Amino acid sequence: MKKHPRLLSLFLFLGLFIFVIVPFIPLILSSLSFGWRWPDVFPQAWSLRAWEYVVNDGRTWQAVGISLWIALVVTSVNILLAVPAANALVRYRVRGRWLFEAIIFAPIIIPPFISVMGIHLSFLRFGLTETVLGVVLAHIAPTLPYLFRAVMISYQTLSVDWEDQARMLGAGAVPRFFHVVLPHLLPGILAGASLSVLISLSQYLITFIIGAGQVVTLPILLFPFISGGDPSVASAYSLLYAAIAIAALAGMDAALKRYYQTNRASQQEKGENA
Amino acid sequence: MRKFPIAAFGTLALALSACSSEEAGNAKDADSLLTDDWNVVQDAAKGQEVNMYMWGGSDNINDYLDEWVAPRMKEEYGIELKRVPMNDAQDIINQLLDEKVAGKTDGSMDIVWINGENFKAAKENGLLWGDFTGQLPNFNDYVDAEAPEVSEDFGEPVEGLEAPWGKAQFVLVHDENEFGNPPRSMSELAEWVKQNPGQFTYPAPPDFTGSAFVRQVLYETTGGHEQYRQPAADIEDLEERLEPMWQYLNSIEPYLWREGATYPESLAKQDQLFASGEIGMTMSYDPALAASEVLKGRFPQSTRTYLLDGGTLSNTHFLSIPFNASDKAGALIAINELMSPAAQTAKLSPENWGDLTALDLEKLSPEQQQAMNEVDLGEATLSIEELEQNRLPELSSDYIDIIEEGWTEHVAKD
Repeated sequence: MKKHPRLLSLFLFLGLFIFVIVPFIPLILSSLSFGWRWPDVFPQAWSLRAWEYVVNDGRTWQAVGISLWIALVVTSVNILLAVPAANALVRYRVRGRWLFEAIIFAPIIIPPFISVMGIHLSFLRFGLTETVLGVVLAHIAPTLPYLFRAVMISYQTLSVDWEDQARMLGAGAVPRFFHVVLPHLLPGILAGASLSVLISLSQYLITFIIGAGQVVTLPILLFPFISGGDPSVASAYSLLYAAIAIAALAGMDAALKRYYQTNRASQQEKGENA
Repeated sequence: MRKFPIAAFGTLALALSACSSEEAGNAKDADSLLTDDWNVVQDAAKGQEVNMYMWGGSDNINDYLDEWVAPRMKEEYGIELKRVPMNDAQDIINQLLDEKVAGKTDGSMDIVWINGENFKAAKENGLLWGDFTGQLPNFNDYVDAEAPEVSEDFGEPVEGLEAPWGKAQFVLVHDENEFGNPPRSMSELAEWVKQNPGQFTYPAPPDFTGSAFVRQVLYETTGGHEQYRQPAADIEDLEERLEPMWQYLNSIEPYLWREGATYPESLAKQDQLFASGEIGMTMSYDPALAASEVLKGRFPQSTRTYLLDGGTLSNTHFLSIPFNASDKAGALIAINELMSPAAQTAKLSPENWGDLTALDLEKLSPEQQQAMNEVDLGEATLSIEELEQNRLPELSSDYIDIIEEGWTEHVAKD
């Protein structure tokens, strides 16, 4: 383990720097620049115009709130769907199992545009367009596969013997799930949930078509600026978007750590009581 | 147990469809707004929330609506004007088409900003409400309804389905300090690109502006626009007539940016090349865009726009009301207000937007005219007079399709 820690960490740091930090530098410069002409390496003049527009526009913060709320609800629903589905498909002999898996993974392969056109017509009839509920339902299709896959792999490494043991010791179905299964699944759920949050946050087309302009998430505000060619405002929005995504991931990570800590503490307590 | 999921889905579907059929009644009596007294319309509009669906990629235009127009609408008429950002007007049409198919009657789009192909598609599919412009006091007082640029939208008769909001005209953009004497005709341009290889290009059609440049070439190399006043299908030798245009475009190709091996995919990309100094000229269908880019610091201070000697293409952009708009009274009031001399004068200023007025200057009072003439358009923009005297009409969309396909065939592939 401790053979080349320096070299390895240097390598990792360089990789992180080149692929994660460096792309942000031109974004930051561009969002603050007032004209940036070739062949200047750095902008000659600076302006806060783009940031003033982004920060002062009331819809920006509304959009941040709605984006996060949708991502959160979508991910919660995904967890509720993915855990039982993975449980069934991994542990039971389901006839036509490949078909169920194919259906769940299909949104990764089929372009969302095709399915969302059909979804749109149905949602119009159900009165689900222009609602957050409709957007949440539409976001489930492209995000569920990632969560499902992560949970499925967690289940594959969990032997039924653990639960049998708990059962022999007298644990019912509910305690078995919460004290034996869930702690094992949790890292997988978190990995899948992170992807689910990120993918939900980045949806433009689906949100746009189902939300029909009434559900304004951050990408809805950002896209016209990218295609319309205002690099300053587009850069400022992109940075804000990245900050929100990173904050969401950090928040989830912190929540998991807290869960483990309180869990351990409560188990210790129980141990002492016994 | 096995039948449970089906039963659950059935109940869900029923519950959902019950929600949607409630509000179907509101559209029925809206049509009387087309003939009602204007006061009645104003009373009906009070307290309505009007959603205006429009392209949202310019902070200037967005701010003009959010900070100039919306507060005034609220104060004077009690109307909440809500701008909804769109990436492309085409999306508005697709959305409305689906709503029409699904029979949605309580649509959320109250005002849409469209023109050209999108208007044609909307009109052909019955996506627009009706002949409403005659109801608007500001349309009746200040607009020359007979003028071809108001009565037709890219050759398509408007028939009162949309109200003119502003005008645009094709201009070429150059940096005065880099190239003092820019080419003012297609033959001069052909010479110019030979002397300055790599400094000129145009966005690849079907980009809106690139396609307009090709039409500009068409007018000059094939003998004027009058011959194209008839439907494209009626001209039997159309292919031969277009031939000189393809020859011209291919003859300048080797001297373009990257030797014409590739073209910028959009005007935004081309403007980026100009802004970064990689090419010496760009173009715009918005005569004041260069001035507002100078204000933003993107284009150099010495940027200027100019026209071709033979005149340049011009078009009008319009506001319309969809068939299923929920707040039609509010939409009428808002469109009328957007066409008021005060709103149009504010829109003309490059600080707000820099969009040419749709009103007929001669119908304005002397004070209103003066207010408009006093707007500082910025050094990069030509005077309204000079623009108006050099306007050429647009082609109808059947030609545009032929030209855009032809460009891929004759120019891009060769």
